[in-house]
Amino acid sequence: MISAWLWSVALATGVLLIIRLWLILPRNSAATKRSARRHSDHCSLAVFLGSGGHTSEALLLLSGLDFSRYSPRTYIVSCGDNLSERKAIALESLKPVESPTQNPNYSVVTIPRARYVHQSLLTTPLTAAQSFLGAISLITFKSLFSASPGPEVLILNGPGTCFVLCAAVYLNRLLGLPSPQMIYVESFARVGSLSLSGRLLRPLVDRFVVQWPQLLEDGKRGECRGWLV
Amino acid sequence: MSESLDSLAPGSAPSASQVQSSFPSSTPISTPPRIHVFVTVGSTRFDALVHRVLDNDVRAALRARGYSTLVVQCGNSDFDARSFTQEGDIWRRTEDDMTIQVWRFKPSLQEEYERADLIISHAGSGTILDVLRLGKPLIVVPNETLLDNHQEELANALEGLGHLRASTISDLPQAIRTLESTKLMPFPPFNGSRFRELLDEEMGFTAGPGDRS
Repeated sequence: MISAWLWSVALATGVLLIIRLWLILPRNSAATKRSARRHSDHCSLAVFLGSGGHTSEALLLLSGLDFSRYSPRTYIVSCGDNLSERKAIALESLKPVESPTQNPNYSVVTIPRARYVHQSLLTTPLTAAQSFLGAISLITFKSLFSASPGPEVLILNGPGTCFVLCAAVYLNRLLGLPSPQMIYVESFARVGSLSLSGRLLRPLVDRFVVQWPQLLEDGKRGECRGWLV
Repeated sequence: MSESLDSLAPGSAPSASQVQSSFPSSTPISTPPRIHVFVTVGSTRFDALVHRVLDNDVRAALRARGYSTLVVQCGNSDFDARSFTQEGDIWRRTEDDMTIQVWRFKPSLQEEYERADLIISHAGSGTILDVLRLGKPLIVVPNETLLDNHQEELANALEGLGHLRASTISDLPQAIRTLESTKLMPFPPFNGSRFRELLDEEMGFTAGPGDRS
């Protein structure tokens, strides 16, 4: 009797969760567009630097932005990825700031990797869980407990770890917490087939951008504005 | 408006200034004096390419095109170093009309790209972007042993647009002999306004000039 009761509660919770999840998917939620901002407004931004070519492309995307507008900036790097951190700092030192007295307004934070190169599939759930906790502390806890609100936009371009960041954003949305708009930009290297992170994130992110138009020939969601890097 | 903001947009790499200034907008790449060839495998291991560029066929093809110095950045690749003399981190060999240098890594390859008259490379997208933005002739050899071989797709797509020459390990001598660098199409410079406009639009920043308040 009690177990039947527990089962129906679990089932009802599960169904509600699925409905909630379905409702917050980008294609179903009406209010994904932000309200109009004034030219001088600020917008906080976070970007995941996925090492190697991912980092280079992400930083190239950022290099075209108005840094006095997109401020403060948070660079999320995988633990131990010192090269990406150095490249982010290098970009920050190159960009002009609005006034000479103003310091660049950015921070570099780290997150455990979801999966290491050549890591066995058996241990991947463990590292992915660690990584998810890291993403939650960055995205969810920050919006709950921190005085400074979390980022308003999160730029992702792979690889694996960006999926756990997306999952943390969805946790915020499930709980009705503020959450960043997610923009996924597929790599310039992807001409005829999407990357694994691209395929995973395509239905989940708010904007899905590719750099070669043939990737959209399947008619699913996404946009192409030519080469962005 | 986008023009003025473009000038405020340096790239992330140290190459940014050269990217903006050295790229001829619509003129074909001029014929280089064909002296120096640089081979790079980036941070990867690509034994077959390193082995190939050091073999007789490729060296003969390079000589036939007038190249007299060959520098190979071999990364983590294995190669037969027996005929080389090692000085520190560099393996050297001098032949009658060609000097060869092999080394593994340098913090930046930008200087090497700038000095080279021809670059032969793995088909990594970062290398391709860096080299083409300098307006240098490029032959890429996709690494066929990679599992998820999207490098080949990129190489073929860019060859189809005329920006570079895609080759295989076995066809490399032929690619060197028949490369006509003047017929390569210039690669468009970095355009930071595309992503900026996309993001501004997404975040509700209107493009109107009158709303600066």
